[in-house]
Amino acid sequence: MTNKSYDVVVIGAGVMGTSCAYHLVKKGFKVALIEKIDIARGTSSHCDAVALIVDKMPGVDAALGYASIQRFLELKNELSYDFELHQKGSMYACETDQEMDIASKYAKSMQDDGYDIDILNPKELLEHEPFMAKDLKGGIFSKACCGLNPFKLCFAFVDQVKGKGLDVYSYTDVKGIKLNDKNAVEGVETDKGFLSTKKVVNCAGVWSPEIGKMVGVDIPVKPRKGVILVSATSFPFCNQKVQEFGYMVSKFAEFKCKRDPDVEKYNVAFTIEPSKANNVLIGSSRNFAGYGVNTEIEIIHAIAKRAIRFYPILKEMNCIRSYAGVRPFLDAHLPLITDVDKVPGYYIATGHEGDGISLSPMTGRLISELIAGEKPYLDLAPFSYNRSKKNN
Amino acid sequence: MRQCEVLVIGGGPAGLSAAIEAAKAGAQVVVVETNREVGGQLVKQTHKFFGSSRHRAGTRGIDIAKILRKQCEDLHVELKVNSLVMGIYADNVVAIDEKKSLTEHNIERIQAKKIVISTGASENSIRFPGWTLPGVMGAGAIQTMCNYHRVIPGRKLLMIGSGSVGLIVCYQLMQAGAEIVGIVEALPHINGYAVHASKLTREGIPIYTGYTIKEARGKERVEQAVIAKVNPDWSTVPGSEIVLDTDIVAVGAGLKPLIGMAHMSGCEFVYDKALGGWAPCHNKNMESTHKGIYVAGDTTGLEEASTAIEEGTISGIAIAESLGYIPKDKAKTLKDEGWERLAGLRSGFKGEDRVKAKMKQLNRYDEVMKGGK
Repeated sequence: MTNKSYDVVVIGAGVMGTSCAYHLVKKGFKVALIEKIDIARGTSSHCDAVALIVDKMPGVDAALGYASIQRFLELKNELSYDFELHQKGSMYACETDQEMDIASKYAKSMQDDGYDIDILNPKELLEHEPFMAKDLKGGIFSKACCGLNPFKLCFAFVDQVKGKGLDVYSYTDVKGIKLNDKNAVEGVETDKGFLSTKKVVNCAGVWSPEIGKMVGVDIPVKPRKGVILVSATSFPFCNQKVQEFGYMVSKFAEFKCKRDPDVEKYNVAFTIEPSKANNVLIGSSRNFAGYGVNTEIEIIHAIAKRAIRFYPILKEMNCIRSYAGVRPFLDAHLPLITDVDKVPGYYIATGHEGDGISLSPMTGRLISELIAGEKPYLDLAPFSYNRSKKNN
Repeated sequence: MRQCEVLVIGGGPAGLSAAIEAAKAGAQVVVVETNREVGGQLVKQTHKFFGSSRHRAGTRGIDIAKILRKQCEDLHVELKVNSLVMGIYADNVVAIDEKKSLTEHNIERIQAKKIVISTGASENSIRFPGWTLPGVMGAGAIQTMCNYHRVIPGRKLLMIGSGSVGLIVCYQLMQAGAEIVGIVEALPHINGYAVHASKLTREGIPIYTGYTIKEARGKERVEQAVIAKVNPDWSTVPGSEIVLDTDIVAVGAGLKPLIGMAHMSGCEFVYDKALGGWAPCHNKNMESTHKGIYVAGDTTGLEEASTAIEEGTISGIAIAESLGYIPKDKAKTLKDEGWERLAGLRSGFKGEDRVKAKMKQLNRYDEVMKGGK
């Protein structure tokens, strides 16, 4: 790979990198995708797999989430490789009246913005999910939400355009980014050789600060770990993605709610989703513990305890595996989808934390529009590198 | 959280030997065993061992299991049976899932100063049309059913693979009353000990060398097996098919080290075919690259019960030494003797490859500890 030339070099082959690469090739660019390990070997394979609307804050967050779901439905036909997209909806369950109160207000403000969200009373909740605990106070439901296979999604993006405008360099380390005297991107130095290009997209997720430093750009992303349990296969007792409303509490600081002290410590909130093979994935925790993906037995316990609270039937089931991933956390709770004024040709698409899979289609599309100089589908100001520092 | 000095994961010959040596020197030892009794694969080995008197030649495996268990009990080693280790977590915390009844579990955490991983090996499977039909089973699993649970899984058995496990299982199934319809071996020669093979050929059991299984057929379970000659590139020779009536297809395709626990602990590995594939490397104390975690027996390379016993013994001595129960010079003598006996055990059948592979593990350990990649 000596001295090859590309229109755009994308760094990182997780869901962001593969989506950006796909959307860029679709715009007619010649693209290189550089990955230090392999496709979907980091965060995008250590996660769960949903595209949701009911976990987004009203406003740009929800707009990006909703647009991504619409884009997923298009991608299902556009990509020849099946990434197992299914639109079964998703539900939030409330444990206390206080939660139900906050959830209803949230749902109403989302309804006001035009999103299709239902408020469920306890009876309706059990009609959706007959195996949930009988004492829950109700919930909210959106039928727009989707589930999918995140590994396959990454491969589907790559498979569609590989060799047709996209070259993939796996097991390749980025050593530096060459800038010219105007501080603009000139190329990417790797351990396998130099790639000349005028545009670089940093999609390195939790590792993006490292790629930022190469051009003197500070990216305040921190790795936030999440642990997920896998159950043994069983009959399909869970029909859809279900989360406790406390998940919203753990995701956003805006909601203040009393929480179980056992789960407070590791920021554990119950989520469950059925897999195609009738296992369920049970989550999840959020804590800052560096880049390691080891699981901790205390967190596994806390998650299991929370899960049994919502689905008592889980007490009778075995957990066959646990795994953890590190998600790219930003204080702003909004990703960076942006160019950078002081380094012309340098773009960033990261900081989606636990929403990466969910928001990947629109992120890729927006980056491709930005690079093509077209008017982006959504206003990018809230995702800009120049948004106020305190929001990062 | 409960604390202990030595926690042994897996109560087979390696684990029990480690426990015995450490306990003999004065250490407090807990052995965690997933099955309902300790002994590992010895509990089903009804045949007599070969080799020297030191390695209990002439004694049956099932009796060796009893001897080791008795020694543990006499030394007050705590034997936690029906207990599955869920994982090794930070700071040597081991989470244990103890099955109290079919639905009742007790999950306990124990923090250990030293951990021995002696989880043994698992059977390899091979894939062919029909390989998921009931009746297609691992040869080792059949041996467990027959010799331990006293159940014969079928009446007519076809064995795939002529390694020692395959041959012994055929002989024992035959003794238990099953009909052996044949043994299929893809290699041009019999793979296991000749002494076992000749017991079978004397009974008129056909051994199809240069053949492989092509298909298992049946509606609800295995009814027939199709075997065929193999070319050097592993394709089958058209027209060479033989259809055999059988209700059990036993797969004796070798074993591989069970390395999950070592992998979870972040130990370094070496690949060697002679030891069954990937296995954690270690030093002459049997300590892995993760300080305080020792590996012994098939976990660290597929061999035999006798070598497992010796590796376990060495690890037990080394642990007792590092805990201050055995003086350094005495420990050195004991460990050297252990390594000598191991060398003796590795001088026999296919020993040379194993010696080389073990040397690779020791070298890799040194490399890693020196900070090499």
